[in-house]
Amino acid sequence: MGTQYSGVRESKPGRLNDLGIQSKEAEAQFKKGCLKRADRSFSQGLQCQQINSMACLMSLEDSVFVSHSPQGCVGCAIMAIDMFRVGQAHRGEKIIKNPRIIVTNLDQKSVVFGGEQKLKESVRKAVERYNPKLIFVYASCASGIIGDDIDSICANLETEFSGTTIIPIHCEGFKSKICASGFDAAFLSINKYILKKKKLPSIPNLVNLFAPTTVSYADQKEMERMLKSIGAEANYIPFYSSLEKIKRIPQAVASTSICKVFADEFMKTLEEDYGIPYSHTVMPIGIRNTDKWFRGIAKILGKEAEVEKIIAEEHKRIEPLVAKIRSRLEGKRVFICGGTGRSFAAAALIDDFGMRLVGLETPTYDEDAQIDVEYLNTIHKDFIIDVANMQPFEQVNLVKKLKPDAFIGVPDWAAKLGIPTTHVLDGKRPTMGYDGLLYLGNKIADQLSNPGFNKKLAAHVKLPYRDSWYEENPFKYIVGV
Amino acid sequence: MAKLLDKQRYKCALASMQTVQAITRAIPVLHSGPGCAQKLSDGVGSSGYFSPNIFPCTSINEKDVVFGGTKKLASTIENALKVIDADLFVVLTGCIPEIVGDDTAEVVSQFADARKPVIYASTAGFKGNNYKGHEQVVDAIIDQYLKKADEGEKIEGLVNIWADVPYQNLFWLGNLRELEKLLAELGLKPNTIFGYKRGIENIDLIPKAQFNLLVSPWVGLKNVKKMEKKLGIPYLHYPTLPIGASETSTFLREVGRFAGVSSEKIESVINEHESYFYYLIERYADLFLENRVINKQFSVVGDAQYVLAATKFLVNDLGLFPAKQFITDDTPKEFQSAIVEEFKKLNYGIEAEVEFTTDSYNIHNQIREHDYHGYPLVLGSYYDKEVTEELKGNFLNISWPFQDKVVLDDFYCGYTGGIRLIEDIYSVAVQRFN
Repeated sequence: MGTQYSGVRESKPGRLNDLGIQSKEAEAQFKKGCLKRADRSFSQGLQCQQINSMACLMSLEDSVFVSHSPQGCVGCAIMAIDMFRVGQAHRGEKIIKNPRIIVTNLDQKSVVFGGEQKLKESVRKAVERYNPKLIFVYASCASGIIGDDIDSICANLETEFSGTTIIPIHCEGFKSKICASGFDAAFLSINKYILKKKKLPSIPNLVNLFAPTTVSYADQKEMERMLKSIGAEANYIPFYSSLEKIKRIPQAVASTSICKVFADEFMKTLEEDYGIPYSHTVMPIGIRNTDKWFRGIAKILGKEAEVEKIIAEEHKRIEPLVAKIRSRLEGKRVFICGGTGRSFAAAALIDDFGMRLVGLETPTYDEDAQIDVEYLNTIHKDFIIDVANMQPFEQVNLVKKLKPDAFIGVPDWAAKLGIPTTHVLDGKRPTMGYDGLLYLGNKIADQLSNPGFNKKLAAHVKLPYRDSWYEENPFKYIVGV
Repeated sequence: MAKLLDKQRYKCALASMQTVQAITRAIPVLHSGPGCAQKLSDGVGSSGYFSPNIFPCTSINEKDVVFGGTKKLASTIENALKVIDADLFVVLTGCIPEIVGDDTAEVVSQFADARKPVIYASTAGFKGNNYKGHEQVVDAIIDQYLKKADEGEKIEGLVNIWADVPYQNLFWLGNLRELEKLLAELGLKPNTIFGYKRGIENIDLIPKAQFNLLVSPWVGLKNVKKMEKKLGIPYLHYPTLPIGASETSTFLREVGRFAGVSSEKIESVINEHESYFYYLIERYADLFLENRVINKQFSVVGDAQYVLAATKFLVNDLGLFPAKQFITDDTPKEFQSAIVEEFKKLNYGIEAEVEFTTDSYNIHNQIREHDYHGYPLVLGSYYDKEVTEELKGNFLNISWPFQDKVVLDDFYCGYTGGIRLIEDIYSVAVQRFN
């Protein structure tokens, strides 16, 4: 048994955040252990892991979220709040609630004398006002550097309030450049403070289905339908779930996740601590990935024969419809930019439509990415990989050189080059499973059929870089450390 | 500074990156943790020439926390100058460098001879909110970039206008343009530094102005005072963002008098506008006179700018009656009593009770407990929608955070802005079944 996982994704050997390379070269170099860590001497903003820690739990019933931070750290909460409110509407809630978010508001005095008193007051207020079952306390850069001991404060406060579990989460932004670390930090705390390594009698056919914030209700239903078809009951967590559902986690007979970087480490922990086997494959977007995801969990449940029958039926149903879309998209060259799960899933998905990958931007390269790249190298020609979290300056440099027919991912910049753009991240509409594929395919095809908006935009605006930048190597600022 | 924040209604000082962003071709360079720009950006309207994902950032890591991040800051500024096509680079510091003690001023001073101006502002989140951060950025421009103009360089009738905090106030762009239009009608030459085609040339014009016009209860007062001292520019402080006929006419009279515009000119501009304003009001008076559409009592929840502006408009022009008003921008104590006085200057001796608070839980309880003599009208942030719906009231999202309203260049300021606000309020009211 090694040391306990810290929750910082960079702590895993062989994982890189800064790299620009051809895909075949990447595959070969990784195999030889020759890919080296680097850094960027110039870069654009990333995403803070605290956002992920907070967003993934925000829809939990009967909870209060206390950000132990100065006043800016929940500045973008409105985006998660919007998702939460839309999610409630989709699930038929009559009165749509706001999440309860309290900021301790660390100020200059706290920076000098510590902010522990502010945290205590905030947690007491949270109980007095909302009497919740759960209070999550989020660390921030400021609270981490000034050294506030949130663990012991939470433990002490819990003795004051018997009905409330108070859970500290260590998600200081500076600790990781990979925002998915924030998910791991949340799960580490769930295990430590709620599940506490206590084994419980298992419930036959119960499967933990881990879902991140970006999964729409339509996708939830599709995943649950698929699991039900092989006789499994989904314990859908932690999105739109509750303390009760979280407490059922150790009772499941298997675990799987919708996203590659969501609960992947936690599922390993569940196997170690509670003996629950898991399936970690791919994000179920596109035929091949959906099959792979489905077979993965079916194998754990011993339902290999059943799943093949269902997959065959689904293919029979879906393939003629996919062929129609394929006729509109075949041969188009694509650049993809996305999070770890979705970028690789999209790269596999476009093969269903006969599209060709020319460039892929993904936040990390590691063993998991290697498996995907090995597969992608068999279906696409050599393509370029930019291991980057956004970095639009590198992206537009590449996109301008590669001149793809279509762009999939965060659209703001490729659109300004006049390239048709589509997003595969849609927390409000379907993208996953066999039916999600049709929705996505038609969306891409419709966009390609009418690129007018992007063309007009490109004709009227300029990207914010000096002309000389486009002459440079896009990876110029990736330097060794 | 405010204590705990329950459903927070502003961001931290570093969010003044949006003040920089509002200056055409000015870019913030963040010396901060890895996600600060994204955390402080808004969901929509974030794809302009410069936007939060474009901003260069040092993305401070654990090593920099221990050993300091000045080297990374220097390389980030140096390379930003090479890659980014901007006219002004404004380095903004987040919490981390200010706690660990990075000497940002020293690093920035190495770029004194750079091909474009590089300045910096101290905007750590723990030091203040984005209203204060906005002032820090304007101060940085005054202190590090502007120079006093000679008398001969002054431009007759040139007036610098300062009003909303860009992006924090959804209507900042439209409001500024409308204020410019109104001043131009008085024969003045308005100058602003925010929004379309307002950039470094407009900053260069600042010292040449006849006076600064500040249209805000308190944000920016520090800046115009500094400019008076350092650049010798006098200022007129008009605390109320004018919405609708009554306030806009008062505004024009005061600005006109201060600028030395003849009263004939002022009155003719006012007459023209009031005449059209009341042409519209008369046509729709049937709607406004119908008490079954909305009730008389209302609360505004927002920053001092909008709470004061909307309260004056709803009372003085629309004939509504104020319930309690809530100012949520953490207004510094020294400005509070002057603002309270403004709420006593309503027509017919009406005085509105106002509370300065950042605690939404208390605000919502007070709204629940107040007798609005029917369904309440609440103008507030998106957080106030839940309580208004619970009370079956009419809700309009006019303060941050925004989710219910898409605004490209709409505005509530001036005569036209008053009409827009009426349209918005009544569009909400007529869609409901109460």
